[in-house]
Amino acid sequence: MIIRSSDQVPRRTLFKRFPVPRNLGVPPVSRIERGRIWTAPAGAQRVKTFEIYRYDPDSGANPRLDSFEVDLDDCGPMVLDVLIWIKSKVDSTLTFRRSCREGVCGSCAMNIDGTNWLACTRFVSDTSKRATIYPLNNMRIIKDLVPDLTHVFAQYSLIEPWLKSTTAVPERERLQSLEERHKLDGAWECILCFCCTSGCPSHWWNADRFLGPAVLLQAWRWLVDSRDEATGQRLDDLEDPFRLYRCHTILNCTRTCPKGLNPGKAIAGIKKLLLERRV
Amino acid sequence: MTAKVPRSTSVPAIRTSRPLSPHLQIYRPQLTSVLSFSHRLTGVILSVYAVALVAWLSAAAAGPQVFATAQSLVQSPFGKILLLACTFSFFLHLCSGIRHLMWDTGRGLELGAIYISGWVVVAVSTMLTAVSWIVGTTLAR
Amino acid sequence: MVKPPIMRSSHGRASGLGSAKEGVQQWWLERVTAVALVPLTLWFTASIVGHTDVGYMAFIAWLRAPLTTILMVLLLIALFHHLALGLQVVIEDYVHSVAKLPAVITVRLACFGLAVAGIVATLRIALGY
Repeated sequence: MIIRSSDQVPRRTLFKRFPVPRNLGVPPVSRIERGRIWTAPAGAQRVKTFEIYRYDPDSGANPRLDSFEVDLDDCGPMVLDVLIWIKSKVDSTLTFRRSCREGVCGSCAMNIDGTNWLACTRFVSDTSKRATIYPLNNMRIIKDLVPDLTHVFAQYSLIEPWLKSTTAVPERERLQSLEERHKLDGAWECILCFCCTSGCPSHWWNADRFLGPAVLLQAWRWLVDSRDEATGQRLDDLEDPFRLYRCHTILNCTRTCPKGLNPGKAIAGIKKLLLERRV
Repeated sequence: MTAKVPRSTSVPAIRTSRPLSPHLQIYRPQLTSVLSFSHRLTGVILSVYAVALVAWLSAAAAGPQVFATAQSLVQSPFGKILLLACTFSFFLHLCSGIRHLMWDTGRGLELGAIYISGWVVVAVSTMLTAVSWIVGTTLAR
Repeated sequence: MVKPPIMRSSHGRASGLGSAKEGVQQWWLERVTAVALVPLTLWFTASIVGHTDVGYMAFIAWLRAPLTTILMVLLLIALFHHLALGLQVVIEDYVHSVAKLPAVITVRLACFGLAVAGIVATLRIALGY
């Protein structure tokens, strides 16, 4: 009932999803239809069903929800292991991004059982009886579980995530005290998986103009960096009713971050800075 | 390998746009999003009640007969149900609003604090609604 | 009907029309009116709860007290300002068609009008007209 860290998976839930029609407000192109059922291989003892979102751009069909019966004794403990097992033993067309398999690259971010997390750090034993795997929310889908991240990365480039300074380049390092360096903790560790941004309802309604928690966390990282000298200009660019102020402190971002970071707190910090410079 | 892949006939064979992945339709409701939505919903509901407040004040300014009609509407069974909804919306929005003001100062944004304050808001607003109705009905007798 | 393709770069699309370079004022006023509304609405609720089933003359006498009149007027001002700002944000969130600006204008003007109507009613009762 009391969640103290984002990796806690609730044992019981009242509602697995909001009680709305499955294809509510969805344009015809995005309507999800019933898909295939792939049965488990013969002799499998521990079998679990995974419902996985599939979309094939070459076939011209709508996205669908396939059910895969997985032999848990034959694959590793993580959801990513299940996906790899399906791809190698059942359906080789299943497409997903993956790289490090240890939760540091951010490639395998997806919606597992209704919340966004990295597939490589989510235990299968922590998923529900009929686990669902969808791609990151409110993203254009290239194929199966692969979202098009062009727009969110464009929003990231908008905040100019590099050091801006006009003082002469020092001969050695730009000096920074230990306290000043600690201000960056909780922001530099972001792996840009976009679990938070795709889980933010405000970003669902205003993806084109609201920057989203991931980008705003990085904006905060550059605002509090003592070596950066363009704080005023950065704040000017952020002070916009849509870029920043679509954040209504819903805090889905902090709840879902697979690295345990707190974008909500950083955004509250940005709002405080904007207030501080005019009062 | 069993069922056939159903084909959609409403979509042209050549894709002009990629599909959008589902969001509200499949995201798990959590205390964070549910309380935030109820804060917004109660706010909109209270806006409607604010109009009723102005109407009630205008009825009082118009004279005793008009005011008596307004009071009878409020004290009818249906009026009492609306008043209960109003009180609960008000207390929920008030407690949730104080929680938002606390966040704006920068406090209470750790995940544990978010969940504790969230449950406190639900408990306190329910309790305040009950207390105000019990006190109100006892005093009216 | 097939929509024409958007050829603007992703960075251009994300950049939009640039930053408005304002937004703190609205955010700040919503918080200030909220802080004002906490005691005012609690006072109002307590008064209503304490005065259920009173007659017309007793209610008028209560509202005629100078402190009550002042608090009621302040409540109406703070309430409708907070309401206008909040509803504007809600409309901006959900309405993206051409109906957005007319909706925002209507809501703001309606809130102003209702606030004036409420204040006039309160003053009429207080001053005895």
